[in-house]
Amino acid sequence: MPSLKPALTIVAVMLMVGVASGDIAAEGGFFESKVRPLLAERCYQCHSEKAAEDGKLKGGLRVDSLAGLMKGGDSGPSIVTGDPEKSRLITAIGYLDEDMAMPPKGKLADDEIAILTEWVRGGAHWPGADKSKLAALTESEEPYDWAKFRREHWSFQPVAKPALPNVQDDSWSRGDLDRFVLAKLEGEALSPNSQASKRVLIRRAYLDVIGLPPGAKEVQEFLHDESSDAFAKIVDSLLNSEHYGERWARHWMDVARYSDESLPNAWRYRDWLVQALNADIPYDAFVTRQIVGDLLEEAPDPVATGFFVVGPTYGNDGGDPEAVAVAEAETLSDRVDTFSRAFLGLTVACARCHDHKFDPVTIKDYYALAGIFRNSGLGEHPVDPKEKVEAYHEAQKAIGAYRNKINEWLKEQGKRLNQKANQVPKHLDEAGKAALAEMRAEEKRMKDSLPPKFAFAHVLAESGSNDMHVALRGDLRKKGALVPRRFLQVLSDEELKAYAKEGSGRQDLAQSVTDPSNPLTARVIVNRVWQWHFGKALVRTPSNFGVLGEKPTHPKLLDWLAADFMKHGWSLKRLHRQILLSSTWQMSSAFDDENFAKDGDNRLLWRMNPRKLEAEAWRDTVLAVTGELDRKVGGKPENEILESTRRTLYATVSRNGDRRVSDEFLSLFDFPAPQFTSAERSVSTVPQQYLFMMNSPFMKARSETLGHGLASQTVAVEERIGDVYERLYSRPAEPGEVELGKRWVGKDTDSPETWSRYAQVLLSAHELFQNQ
Amino acid sequence: MKFLQHELDYRRATQGQLTRREALRRMGAGMGSIGLASMFGNAQASAIVSPLGPKQPHFPAKAKRIIQLFMPGGPSQVDTFDYKPMIAKHAGERPDSVNRKSLRNTKLGLMPSPFGFQQYGKCGKWVSDIFPETAQCVDDICFVHSMHTDIPEHAGGILMTNVGALQPNRPSMGSWLVYGLGAETENLPGFVAMSPRAQPRGKLANWGNAFLPGAYAGSYVNIHDMTPDAVIRDLKNTSLSRKDQRKQADLLAQLNQMHLKRLEKDQDLEASIQAMEMAFRMQFSVPEVFDVQKESQATRDLYGDSEFGKGCLIARRLIEEGVRVVQLSHSIDGYDIAWDTGHNDIVGGHARLAKACDQAIAGLLQDLKGRGLLEDTLVLWGGEFGRAPTSEGAKGRDHDHYGYTVWMAGGGVKPGFSYGATDEFGLSAVEDRVHVHDLHATVLHLMGLDHEKLTYRYSGRDYRLTDVHGRVVKEILA
Repeated sequence: MPSLKPALTIVAVMLMVGVASGDIAAEGGFFESKVRPLLAERCYQCHSEKAAEDGKLKGGLRVDSLAGLMKGGDSGPSIVTGDPEKSRLITAIGYLDEDMAMPPKGKLADDEIAILTEWVRGGAHWPGADKSKLAALTESEEPYDWAKFRREHWSFQPVAKPALPNVQDDSWSRGDLDRFVLAKLEGEALSPNSQASKRVLIRRAYLDVIGLPPGAKEVQEFLHDESSDAFAKIVDSLLNSEHYGERWARHWMDVARYSDESLPNAWRYRDWLVQALNADIPYDAFVTRQIVGDLLEEAPDPVATGFFVVGPTYGNDGGDPEAVAVAEAETLSDRVDTFSRAFLGLTVACARCHDHKFDPVTIKDYYALAGIFRNSGLGEHPVDPKEKVEAYHEAQKAIGAYRNKINEWLKEQGKRLNQKANQVPKHLDEAGKAALAEMRAEEKRMKDSLPPKFAFAHVLAESGSNDMHVALRGDLRKKGALVPRRFLQVLSDEELKAYAKEGSGRQDLAQSVTDPSNPLTARVIVNRVWQWHFGKALVRTPSNFGVLGEKPTHPKLLDWLAADFMKHGWSLKRLHRQILLSSTWQMSSAFDDENFAKDGDNRLLWRMNPRKLEAEAWRDTVLAVTGELDRKVGGKPENEILESTRRTLYATVSRNGDRRVSDEFLSLFDFPAPQFTSAERSVSTVPQQYLFMMNSPFMKARSETLGHGLASQTVAVEERIGDVYERLYSRPAEPGEVELGKRWVGKDTDSPETWSRYAQVLLSAHELFQNQ
Repeated sequence: MKFLQHELDYRRATQGQLTRREALRRMGAGMGSIGLASMFGNAQASAIVSPLGPKQPHFPAKAKRIIQLFMPGGPSQVDTFDYKPMIAKHAGERPDSVNRKSLRNTKLGLMPSPFGFQQYGKCGKWVSDIFPETAQCVDDICFVHSMHTDIPEHAGGILMTNVGALQPNRPSMGSWLVYGLGAETENLPGFVAMSPRAQPRGKLANWGNAFLPGAYAGSYVNIHDMTPDAVIRDLKNTSLSRKDQRKQADLLAQLNQMHLKRLEKDQDLEASIQAMEMAFRMQFSVPEVFDVQKESQATRDLYGDSEFGKGCLIARRLIEEGVRVVQLSHSIDGYDIAWDTGHNDIVGGHARLAKACDQAIAGLLQDLKGRGLLEDTLVLWGGEFGRAPTSEGAKGRDHDHYGYTVWMAGGGVKPGFSYGATDEFGLSAVEDRVHVHDLHATVLHLMGLDHEKLTYRYSGRDYRLTDVHGRVVKEILA
């Protein structure tokens, strides 16, 4: 708060207008005749019980009682009785701080300011108010009933492994998880759909696990494999495929709001994800490395911390102090928001300006976490061999040393010639000029032979160990209480322990997140995995397990999965297998009138949800069925993915989806703009998607590849049509479809043109978008 | 909706050889779902709701659509519509009331406007000589002189104006409007953003949907090098005739319907069949709407021969076709904050910019009025902030976020009216202050939406355009 320099002025005014001195101001008469009317007239409109009732209360402050004033508003107590200089009320009405100048419509008259100042100085006498009781008000109150939240809100309760439920028809369940699903269905008198056909199953598994359709050959082999573990073999081979990591890394990249924008090496974090998932590193380690991989003693893995760096780091373009503060605040908010929603399913960033209105998250919790990220800067981690990195640094150093040597020489010559160093070259004799030229040439040679900069990854790096002040109403320039870095209070049992003073606090943070007693971490990830297998999650707000999030449709199943997951070493592949081999996942997605009428939203899981492929899986599928897909794993991103045949995972991802033609394509097909962590894709169906199908160069090229191939086949038209249906949709063509195809081709059975137009229609069909 | 010329031409050309589908499609033009329902013999099809279908407002409203004439860079209020003769009387002085920090914290004195001001219209509004044509329309305009915003910096200020926040992570006002109201066209996007040469700073964020569904994003068109055939990506087929394309579209529809039959019911597939039909039509309707040559010479003359004029004329053609929101940004020389030329040169910069848009603005207002469209169309003019009455150097002015002017015309605002005031020198809004959030609340209100009720649940929170702020400025409602 600024110092109250005009105190003198106020006294002077007071004398001039003949306002009471402190003694008189302490009397009730003065309050009733001068103070209360003034407050009522100029302040109650926004700061009274009535304003609160009308929803017009501003800044959380009420001035219609002494309690209200002493308790204060968002920025703290409004008056300190007897001390106007420490009272925000007086600062505000004096217009001494532009940000809190009150009333906003215009400053009070000088005599009015003097009245309130003297009233505060005289002890803020308020008839009927008991100051001794009120003193307690200014001390911090607990904003939530922590114990009640921990006891009553489902996601804060400890994860317990529930007993398996009893079911009437035990023959349906393949695994334990099925029993939880079936018990629910039986409870509502619904019956599960029958198992999907083998053709649907293998296609579903391929698209689900690796994001690519099976080839016609794989389908045939599976159809002919009569062994009881035929499908389990498919699942295992898919989970062992290096393409598994590609598909599932992309899921996580939605959560990690991955972008390449201004981060030329962001792809190293993407490749890290692909490899980490393929290696099935336990999820608790997966989390730990992303939070604090740079500081792990045994096996440091700094590239993993790219998780935080690939998000938006905001800037400003004018240097205005508010803009600078807002940019930093937004950046910190990104880190806290992504961290808390990704790993914990909590919307902690809502507490950036005030205590969370619904969840037990205080503004102090927010700044306790923000402080951790404020001490974690952006860094470059070399990934090349040490020798290469050292060689680069050495060469840089040598150039610097040589430049110093030249400067020294110039200085010496300057002394000799009595000239400033920068004037020396003009005054040198021929020999001197030649010597200088030789030295400059040597410097240039050194620069030219500088080895290229070593490869590096964008990572987090420790940058301090300071606690952070609460920023009042989210404004970093308005400092509130200092908060030690620590974990969220609601997840911290009774005692609130500050993190280690040294370092940013990320080490302790990773511990708090992966502690098996943390009720959220395992629940959140098994729920996400469920969503990525079924299209809809058990908790349909996967990044919000708070009060405003949805409750689980199958709470016991969720807990059973979470407990089982932790018990078996947090293995994601094991979890996938468990799900893929269940009767639940293998159900058909067929429509059923009766079930649909009872549960159209499929919350009880009476069928597999019919799903539409994401932009990536659809484009990859198109390239796969035309035989053009480049299956190489990893590496630098492609700036225009539509001009490439690599998987869509390797598209350069811009922050706002507005840089490239390929960005337009991606966002047209619901790829999320990575400004925020994204828990679930929206599914839109808009005409522009069909403009892409009909007219884009990408689709034209694919159609021609497929069409020309069909035209060059020598077998009968029926057979060619049958073949292309197997390739595209993993099923034979129906007679009606063959008939339409034959009619289309007519007599032009060898015309590449005719077949290409036909191929374009088949590639544009809705069926290619579906994962049934 | 009237039939576009391409429809008439095509009908003539193909008379007597209509497929059943074409016939149905034509009968159903403008009511696509009914056409589909009869085609499927299936009552469910009629229940398909496109995200862009028209929706009921919260309450009946005068304005059905909006054209935003956005002036990025910060036009100076005291050189345009906020006449302050006191500046000249105190030229060179720096009275207390203007001694506030600007972006560059310049300390210089008051600089009189280099432009003359005259009174216009029945309302006697003083307007600067650089807007002589717009000045003729003052009796239709409602000026708000008491605007203020949070920061005097372009990127943040522009975002505040268009998305209600300082960073590019919220849906734009246009997206909110289309989310709330849908559109009244089946052939065009509900929200079109345009500018010549340069996109305003912040680019896509200014018409982006952020976390709202993708259907509510604005479609951007650069009208400088626009060819009507290419205003939307992949709009035109470069190799097939319309007849051949129709054959493809028919085959696709047949295959999709066979698939639908197999699945019994699939909402997404049903919507997809509809979307495909609309895409087919868009190929022909979109180029026509963007083709200003379809207008009479007299109409084109009314708007003048400028890029902004072309934009204004296209804007009118778009709203006539049922587009809900048009955002047209001013720009010359490819500068993304054109009005910022005011730093060095109010005389040259502002005079040139005004000249490049004045006739077009007046033409738009007159044309809308002449066609009876002004009563239910809202026109909004303004930048992200204004410029200070004090000098920044020889001839320029620094940013001013303490006070500036915007104006509206048509759809439900008081015509020939001025609201709010800056101080006697024009720096700070002092009377009836209107924050950008209040302006947003008011625009939504004029369009029939309650800014506190137009919410979208995202990541556990209900978001709105006005965040936790906003007051409808009832005083300017007609």
